[in-house]
Amino acid sequence: MAADPFARLADRQQSLRTALRALKAAGPGSPDFQTLLTTTNAEVDAVMAARKDVEAARLTVPNRAIAAGTTAAALVVAVGWFDAWSLLSLLLAVATAASVLVDPTGRGVWEPRARTTAICAALAATLLTPVASGWAALVTVAGIAWWAWRTLR
Amino acid sequence: MNIDPVKALDDKIERLKKELKSLETRIDHAQTEAAHDQLSQTNQLKDNTRKLTRTDDRVTELAESVHRLERLLVALNRKVRAGETQKADFDDWPEVAEPLIAKILAGQEAYARRTFTPQEAKDTRKAIAEYDRKALEAIDAAEALTHLPPNAEALWRKNYKQWQAVTAQERPEAPDDDTYAKDTVAKSAGNEAIARTRRLIRARIEDAVARDLLFPAWFENMLGPAAPPGKADDWLYTATDVVLYRLLHGVTSPADALGPAPSEEGHRKTLHDRLTGECADYRKP
Repeated sequence: MAADPFARLADRQQSLRTALRALKAAGPGSPDFQTLLTTTNAEVDAVMAARKDVEAARLTVPNRAIAAGTTAAALVVAVGWFDAWSLLSLLLAVATAASVLVDPTGRGVWEPRARTTAICAALAATLLTPVASGWAALVTVAGIAWWAWRTLR
Repeated sequence: MNIDPVKALDDKIERLKKELKSLETRIDHAQTEAAHDQLSQTNQLKDNTRKLTRTDDRVTELAESVHRLERLLVALNRKVRAGETQKADFDDWPEVAEPLIAKILAGQEAYARRTFTPQEAKDTRKAIAEYDRKALEAIDAAEALTHLPPNAEALWRKNYKQWQAVTAQERPEAPDDDTYAKDTVAKSAGNEAIARTRRLIRARIEDAVARDLLFPAWFENMLGPAAPPGKADDWLYTATDVVLYRLLHGVTSPADALGPAPSEEGHRKTLHDRLTGECADYRKP
């Protein structure tokens, strides 16, 4: 098995192609269609996992960078535009950033990009806090909801 | 009329005294009668109790003698069986061939099988066509997964969803066009075979009754020593079914006519329950 996620995805796609050829040759009416379908389903799942690994490899650094940026921005905003009500949004954004820093890609098939969305929302909320104060927290919440909908559904 | 008022009063007192006396006599009389009645009732009660005790003793005696008689009968029955008396054979049926039984069983199976009505067959075919179309679509979608660039997430998502639509369900069983016709044939052949087998069995049982043959132990256990008066036809019908049940389901126990009750629902269980109930009625004194 190839160690590089791109090579592994290509590998998986190749074996999925083979499985699909067998499935197509059998056709839906044949008696072993169900077994072939099960094996092909396993191949499809493997391809999805491989693609997730590619995405994870691609998004780990950007996610971490945005999370770090969010944390820094939150500090700056907290000091520069101090307001008790704003702290809610900032704390939420920092919490999100912390969880993304710890695990930038997650485990779900669609999770790397969902995490990118969530952390981008947190950054936007932090930048909006001087203007919208506590209400900016809603943007972070929306990002987290998006992540949950994509991942946990 | 007395002129002297004292005399008149005296007279009145006298009269009243007389009346009082007569009343006392009557009361005394009534009391005596009541006492008498009570006494006679007590006596009657005692008498009845005595009679009852006697009857009780008699009944106990009779029960004992019935029990003695029963045991005597059992012993006698055993002796008769051990003797030269001819026995009826309801266990070997050379005239009921293996194919005949197979036909009956096939008929019962056909009755038990759920058959597709034409409308259902049509619906199922439609569902199969729908499934096949979806399967082809899903295969196309999976094929797309083999060459999509990894960052086109929306397309991956769409195709993956399409693929999952087909793995979640199974292809419906195709209705067999011949099933209906075949089942009809099997049913009528089974009915015919059952009627024939029943005739054979009944003839042999009637022959055994006519020649006063000894019934096998399982038969007597199940159906009693003879047909109950006035119910000979029903009894023969049930007896035929008991023998048929043994024949169909391969029960060979010499004592237990029907064998253990089947656990799964179906034709056999229904028949077993029916026969158990009917035979219990025939064994009632």
